[in-house]
Amino acid sequence: MSHAGNSEQGIGNSVDARSQDVQVVTEIAATTSTAAVKPKMTLAEVRAKLDGKSGKRYWKSLDELADTPAFQELMQEEFPRQANAGEWVDSVSRRGFLKVMGASFALAGLAGCTKQPDEPIFPYIKQPEDLVLGRPMYFATAHPFPTGAIPVLVKSDAFRPIKLEGNPEHPMSKGKSDAFTQASLLDLYDPDRSQHPRFRGEQSDFGSFQQEFAKAVQDTKTGAGVVFLSETITSPTLAAQWKQISTKYPAAKLVQYEPANGDAGRAASKAAFGDYYDAQYKLQDADVILSLDADFLGGIGFPGFLPVSAAWAERHRFDKDKTMNRLYVVETNPTVTGFKADHRLALKPSEIDAFASALAGGSGSLSDPDAQKFLTVVLEDLKKSGGRAVVIAGPQSSMAAHAAALAMNSSLGAVGKTVVYTETVAAIPSEQTADLKALVADMNAGKVQWLVMLGTNPLYNAPADLEFESAFNKVPNSVHLGSHLDETGFYSTWHINKSHYLESWTDARAYDGTISIVQPMIDPLYGGKSAHDVFQVLLDPSLSGYDVVAANAKTYIGSAKGGGGDFATAWRKALHDGWVEGTAFEPKTLTAKTMPAAPVTPVSGVEISYKTDSSIYDGRYGNNGWLQELPKQVTSISWDNAALMNMDLMGKMGIEENEAVELTLNGRKIIVPVLMSPGHPNDAVTVTLGQGRRAEAGRVAAGVGFNAYALRTTDAPGAQSGLQIARGKGFYDLCVTKVHNIEHRGKFAQQDLEHKKFDTEGTYSLAGHEAQERSIIRYATVAEALANPNYTHEGTASGNTTVNKVGYNPQGEAPEHDDSFYPDAWRYDHPEVVGAAQKVLQNKWGMSIDLNSCVGCNACVVSCYAENNIAVVGREQVKIGRIMQWMRIDTYFEGDLHAPKAHFQPMLCQHCESAGCEQVCPVGATVHTPEGINTMVYNRCVGTRYCSNNCPYKVRRFNFLLYADYDTESLKFQRNPDVSVRSRGVMEKCSYCIQRIEAVKIDADKNNRAIEDGEILTACQQACPTDAIVFGNLNDPKARVTKLKAEERDYQVLADLNYRPRTSYTAGVFNPNAELA
Amino acid sequence: MAQVFDRSSNALARASLVLTGLIVIALGVALNSLQRSPWVTRQGQRPDQPVPFSHKHHVEGLGLQCQYCHTSVEKSSYAGIPPTKTCINCHSQIWTNAQLLEPVRHSWATGESIQWIKVHDLPDYVYFNHEIHVNKGIGCASCHGRVDQMPLMYQQNTLQMEWCLNCHRNPGVNLRPTSEIYNMSWAGPSKDKPVWCTASPTSGPTAQGVSCVTKDPENNNPEVALMGGKPLGNLRGMNLQLFDGRTSSDMPVIAMPASYVKFTSQIDLGHFLQDKYHIRTANELSSCEVCHR
Repeated sequence: MSHAGNSEQGIGNSVDARSQDVQVVTEIAATTSTAAVKPKMTLAEVRAKLDGKSGKRYWKSLDELADTPAFQELMQEEFPRQANAGEWVDSVSRRGFLKVMGASFALAGLAGCTKQPDEPIFPYIKQPEDLVLGRPMYFATAHPFPTGAIPVLVKSDAFRPIKLEGNPEHPMSKGKSDAFTQASLLDLYDPDRSQHPRFRGEQSDFGSFQQEFAKAVQDTKTGAGVVFLSETITSPTLAAQWKQISTKYPAAKLVQYEPANGDAGRAASKAAFGDYYDAQYKLQDADVILSLDADFLGGIGFPGFLPVSAAWAERHRFDKDKTMNRLYVVETNPTVTGFKADHRLALKPSEIDAFASALAGGSGSLSDPDAQKFLTVVLEDLKKSGGRAVVIAGPQSSMAAHAAALAMNSSLGAVGKTVVYTETVAAIPSEQTADLKALVADMNAGKVQWLVMLGTNPLYNAPADLEFESAFNKVPNSVHLGSHLDETGFYSTWHINKSHYLESWTDARAYDGTISIVQPMIDPLYGGKSAHDVFQVLLDPSLSGYDVVAANAKTYIGSAKGGGGDFATAWRKALHDGWVEGTAFEPKTLTAKTMPAAPVTPVSGVEISYKTDSSIYDGRYGNNGWLQELPKQVTSISWDNAALMNMDLMGKMGIEENEAVELTLNGRKIIVPVLMSPGHPNDAVTVTLGQGRRAEAGRVAAGVGFNAYALRTTDAPGAQSGLQIARGKGFYDLCVTKVHNIEHRGKFAQQDLEHKKFDTEGTYSLAGHEAQERSIIRYATVAEALANPNYTHEGTASGNTTVNKVGYNPQGEAPEHDDSFYPDAWRYDHPEVVGAAQKVLQNKWGMSIDLNSCVGCNACVVSCYAENNIAVVGREQVKIGRIMQWMRIDTYFEGDLHAPKAHFQPMLCQHCESAGCEQVCPVGATVHTPEGINTMVYNRCVGTRYCSNNCPYKVRRFNFLLYADYDTESLKFQRNPDVSVRSRGVMEKCSYCIQRIEAVKIDADKNNRAIEDGEILTACQQACPTDAIVFGNLNDPKARVTKLKAEERDYQVLADLNYRPRTSYTAGVFNPNAELA
Repeated sequence: MAQVFDRSSNALARASLVLTGLIVIALGVALNSLQRSPWVTRQGQRPDQPVPFSHKHHVEGLGLQCQYCHTSVEKSSYAGIPPTKTCINCHSQIWTNAQLLEPVRHSWATGESIQWIKVHDLPDYVYFNHEIHVNKGIGCASCHGRVDQMPLMYQQNTLQMEWCLNCHRNPGVNLRPTSEIYNMSWAGPSKDKPVWCTASPTSGPTAQGVSCVTKDPENNNPEVALMGGKPLGNLRGMNLQLFDGRTSSDMPVIAMPASYVKFTSQIDLGHFLQDKYHIRTANELSSCEVCHR
């Protein structure tokens, strides 16, 4: 394969062994899976199905839509793919199995008769003053990210960081967080982290590096030939250090490079304003929003994701007295932003440029009539709003999109209202791709003696046309500061192990400019160094990271900013609060130069579009098990990446899903499996960056997916035309989690179906048209919701919501309370408890999830991982449906393959009142609590899995193998001490974060008071950037959750089963434009 | 051919059937008692500790209060094992050369922990919380026994789930006034040694809600005199039924002398405290999630 070839060429023979590994991991082996080879239905057939008699239909995957016999067969299983997979994925012979079992029975027998071993206690010598063992402490810091730091509160148990939460007092984030931030905790404990500096492959120490580097640079006098290649610098202190270095060594250079660098936006800003500025969008004031390929609801890859998505969601809540915002999205790759939009237009990259220039030009003519109509309607809607509109371009939008956004926003009068321009979050803004190109030219010319890479990994992610590797080999001294001995670190002369941000001092700017001091939570686990330490080698090596940050902080903290008071107090306050007051950017008053928008004509032919991965960004989180396993937004791919294309292109080429194809662009080739992406534009292929790491990247990242950087070039970092696709490279079974949670049920309930011809056997229910007929997803347009506020329970004329069409229960979904098959044993309003004035209000826990606000960003899922010690199971186990996540985001597509709608529904244990699981457990391992929670008693569970079979929501997870890592020391530090680590053979599921409930209950009981509303936040609720999840006491009439559940739009999923779930959903409301309907 | 089995084989066969049954039953009984035996539960065992620390000497002999060492018992799930510093506070002055204390001095000098062996060791899936127990009127001795009479620490109770549930299903039997939590010799009220309790009319943290005395508050008890106000004589020996089901808010809030109720049995006191301390119902207390997460 191509990468292997590259690495051998440049690096020479010394790394033979590694190269071998390299070959293995980048190869996509052809599988012999017969299921994948079976021909599916053609496009025409799929269309016929969709256009059939039924107007509405929901579906989750192409397989399901195609409804092949193979799929039907799969769905006959209660748990598709689990049952036939056997215990182990790799086959173990019967004899081998018996041997293993014999041994484990013997051990189990022995273990049963042995006492617990003696457990030692290691008390402190001198206990730290503020430490109360058993009580966590919280410290404020921030997660540095190139688009702006995310302020966090670190939950620290005996000084081990065990959970990250958003900082609720921070003016920008207001306590919200995102998937990357949540998962960055696991990076700290990553067992593959580099543990010591290396020099030419041998263990070394930082002192030797200091000596050699300082001396070498001193000898150059001017610093000529010394180049720092850094990540985007958002730390004011690091920028100040660089200033000192460039004063001392004027010839030294700094180049910043990130693969996802937002160059286009900066170039557009420079063209319009003459300098670099960031745009901050204020969506709370925007009635009409147009996004030009900006995925602003997808994650912190979009600068200001937290405030922007929160403001969008707030304005997208339905309230009959308020104007709901309307979002139009023009994009290539279907993203969560596109599917949350009221109108989405799928265009290939060059068509987006044409659209953007036509938009900026005020009219324009597009060849595609649909796009032209969209453009006309959007333009009119934007203009109608009277300045309460905004056009958004994101870090991955093209230059044309940015130029159009700038021009439109100023002509709409949006500047100063819905968008403001400020200084850049990047302390030293630059056009990174151009800078890197110049650097490589210098390297090739032999002008670079010392290449110091601060946290970057160019051997992996530099644009392919630069041939960075051969340039790299011409640099005599390369230094790599990195958390892992990655592709670059392995081949560098020097490797310095980088400290994690939870281990080191630095500072960082959030998106709004607010500076946070990043303080260490724990002594560096492996004595790592930060970029500050490396810069300081050339300045004053005796100063530590703390010294430089504290010294530089004097320029922005306290009296220096006119805040009064002494520095020490202000410094302590900044550390305590997690941000420095008065450091937010002031909006600039700028006038954009009017640029004539040159009309762009779309290119013909197949285009490739590069996007960062919604789970691992540009590859930096590649070795993070939580994120690798996280099903990606929209596609639900876990552990892989695929070439995403639409059915038309697949049909034209004759490609099947899961088929590996060869993509050729400018003579460079990669082999990629294909996944059908509903709503993807024609003649375009989207690939995500960041996968296909080599063996050096670590045990999780290595060998996963394919490397799209191998095609990406400097002149077209976003998209390029001229892609060729060749078939015949075998099959690759992609790991997609979608079909795992489809519930099986019998023919019995099938009789009521209106469209039973699609499902003649009655084999599956949660997906398919039943999702609509059984009203798993309910929504209405604003007009419908205003006409009938109770549409959630009465249905809508358009069929967006149909209620009580199908079900087990003769009364539909509203059985009388007494109709329960089981005696009404559990009441939660015992008069002797609730009635007495002095008694504490009895708790009755419940949850409400707003489907209007949920953007499917996955932050909740990762937060749940960290809070509940959920195990990572690995690709092969995920593929057979054994993923352990307690909550998942179900994506239901609806309608036409080309322009589907999609609905996101977080699905977690519903805590049913008459739960099916409880009634079938033979050992009482899952029981009801007096507060209405369905709780698991792990030590009772014997693993019959009856409960899981009887759960219609499919939210129970079984430890088929010993998934929890009992051996790796560093991972043990991360675990939440208040949650059991589950062993093999045990069922587990969402507990509503029972440990958090109990902790607050104990505190409240101790003080003889009722629990206040909002005092208990579940981990998912706390992480949710759009406040879609609300948890609380249903017995408290003032609680938010009680009010939400009293709303007319509140509904339960599969209510007709009379399981009476405690979790309910608020039906969505869309705000479509009648002219586009 | 002669019979293979003699007639007596019938009896033998029957006997062996009975015997098998007996063996199965005996095995069951044996396993059951093994499960509850001190060998498994470690009840009463004294593991070899690095220092033969005597609670008897320090508590009974010197009168150290429990919280001098177990500092976090009121505010955390974990009562706390004292750091070496706590030992050194005194033992830098007294018994500075005692051979027994060598591990302590070694720890202090080298910074290595004294490696104790856990005596009260619950399984890892049990989330016991000291804080709520001591704040709700469960004394140390209720679970740990007369620690002040243990020269070497041992586990007084089985710490098995049935033992926990015995109390969680009927917490009244072990409740005591929070002022007596650390009193090792508290025995509960009896006919001979009654207890007089009063509840403050205002709500507040549990520990401050109730005060109890062991001397008759009528007979010029100094404890009561300090609180100001002479108790109402007619409350003496009043029928406790009146108080059952009533909450403190039902009492007049006007400044009235503390009214004491006399208790002569633990059952009555338990009911009184259950009400005043707002102990959750047995149903709630014995729910699984209370200990298992």
